[in-house]
Amino acid sequence: MSDPANGHGSADSGPWTMLFVDDDTDFLAAQEAFFGSRGHKVVTADSSADALEILEALNPDIVFLDLMMERYDSGFRLAHELRKREHLKDVPFVMLSGVARETGERFDQEGKGLLSWTKLDRFVDKPATGRQLLAVAEELLS
Amino acid sequence: MSDPAAKPGTEAPAAPGSAGTAAAAPGPGTEPAAAAAPARILVVDDEYGVRSAVAQILELEGYEVASAASGEEALALLASPGFDIALLDYRLPDTDGLALHKDILATGRQIMTCMITAYADIDLACAATFQGIDFFLPKPFMPDDLLNVVATLVKRRQARAEEERLRREHEASLLALAEEKSQTHSLISSLRDAVLVINQTGDVVLANQAMTALLESTEPEVLRRPVAGLLRGGPLASLIDTLESPAKDRTIGQLSIGERDFMTSIVTFRAEDGSALGRILTLSDISQVRRLAMEKEKFIRTMVHELKSPLGAVRSIIEVTTDKSMGDDLEAYLPLLRRAETRIDDLVQLISDLLSLSKSEQAKAASEPQLLEVAPLVEAALAGQAEHLAARGITASVQVEPGLPPVLAPIEDLELILNNLAGNAVKYNRVGGSVTISARHEGEWVRIDVEDTGIGIAAENVDQVFTEFFREKRPETKGLEGSGLGLSIVKRLTERAGGRLQLASGLGEGSVFSVFLPA
Repeated sequence: MSDPANGHGSADSGPWTMLFVDDDTDFLAAQEAFFGSRGHKVVTADSSADALEILEALNPDIVFLDLMMERYDSGFRLAHELRKREHLKDVPFVMLSGVARETGERFDQEGKGLLSWTKLDRFVDKPATGRQLLAVAEELLS
Repeated sequence: MSDPAAKPGTEAPAAPGSAGTAAAAPGPGTEPAAAAAPARILVVDDEYGVRSAVAQILELEGYEVASAASGEEALALLASPGFDIALLDYRLPDTDGLALHKDILATGRQIMTCMITAYADIDLACAATFQGIDFFLPKPFMPDDLLNVVATLVKRRQARAEEERLRREHEASLLALAEEKSQTHSLISSLRDAVLVINQTGDVVLANQAMTALLESTEPEVLRRPVAGLLRGGPLASLIDTLESPAKDRTIGQLSIGERDFMTSIVTFRAEDGSALGRILTLSDISQVRRLAMEKEKFIRTMVHELKSPLGAVRSIIEVTTDKSMGDDLEAYLPLLRRAETRIDDLVQLISDLLSLSKSEQAKAASEPQLLEVAPLVEAALAGQAEHLAARGITASVQVEPGLPPVLAPIEDLELILNNLAGNAVKYNRVGGSVTISARHEGEWVRIDVEDTGIGIAAENVDQVFTEFFREKRPETKGLEGSGLGLSIVKRLTERAGGRLQLASGLGEGSVFSVFLPA
């Protein structure tokens, strides 16, 4: 927890294993550079299927999920699926979305209590900066 | 004739029938004054003496008098309107009083008639009465008798005119009422909204066609039935309580029946004293409005996502650079920065596509349709792709049927259609593939086929590719940027130009987009 690789990291953060799930590969590349430079292990998945496969063999400290990928609600579906896995039960899930905060309750139409059974820890509005995500990770992992 | 002239002082027997009441009428001379204009009286008698005596008596009282010596003369005078009363002698040289009266009736003029005769007997009096003669005055008579009779006739004529006026008014208002009722009924019947009206005891008094259709019933079947019994067990059962005892005079709600969504309204209508007369239930189908609202919401949600994603990526790339996440060497950042450039170009393209989409939704193109030769526009569309064609070794060919008629379309719309289709044919093609654009005459249409040898479209997505923002996510499409609006724009522009768009494709088999435009 106290070994920042390159001096960017704060005293009590990491190194973490972070999973970013987003269909925007440029965004993934940037997060890889930003968090990688801070000594964290960054794993990326550019689709829900990719994420499900990676998580067969990965124990992340935190997962960042994009909401809108294959479908407008892919992030919810993925989170719901992942929460069923024993090793992911208590891992913080952070949902990134351009519209989720404003329209979150509308996803209830897809299934009662979707928001609660996905057990999301945080919503972050897009576009989000690395610094914002770092602050969220520090808060959730402290 | 031998009738003696009216001689004052001679016997003045009471006239038969209602003549007796005439004497009880108010004093003579008051009647014409009471009327707006003096009554006009026609005196018909073959004896000059009688005519002038009668005229004199009446004129002195202010009446206007004309006289005739025969039936023919009388009818000639009556040809012009304005007479109120006709005094008819029974014996006339060319006819008799009864026949003349018939002729007068035949003219349709509303004239009071009085028969004056020395041959008064009960048979004639009866015949005259049955024929509708208003008064019977036997000769000889006293001037006062004559004036009384005339005054009575004037009064009766006024009463009859008033009666006629009232009858017409009543008839007119009944007609208007009936017409209004039937207008209201057909108006309510033809409403798209379903309407049910119940009276204060809760019985159905009106149900329009839309309502009986919802209830799967007919108007005669629902009329006069208690509303609770009618609706129980049916799609409107949840409204029974509110219909029977609403908490407010106006209750608005929503109800789904099958796949249709309705807005319900229950309104209590009241008499002037505030007592409830009944209630009106209205159901408006809002499915279409709701569907459009949801589509619009989805469109906006997707659009926000499509605009925010590239901004997010670019923002992150700039952050990595300013953060110097990858050290001090600028070279390390160049691949990411070049990606940022591309994303910004795509964003600009997206905004311009959004604008085209918005324009394609207008009912009319910005410019007038004109007759356009297809070949040069097809060549121009392919020329615009020259760089991409060369880069990926794709060959392009154009086959335009000789003598192809021009198409009628706004030029910028046809350019946009061809540019989009040519762009897709190149973008989703394979390296070393080919693009063929052919055009031929088919019946009333000019058909333009844009054919590629690319990745094709999965059968289940063939209809979806025209939906805004739809993009097939497949390994082959990874890294291919696009707004997902191009085909929506092409479809709308084609349809606006009076044409249609057709797609034949299969996974890995290439695609053929066929544009049919009016020749």
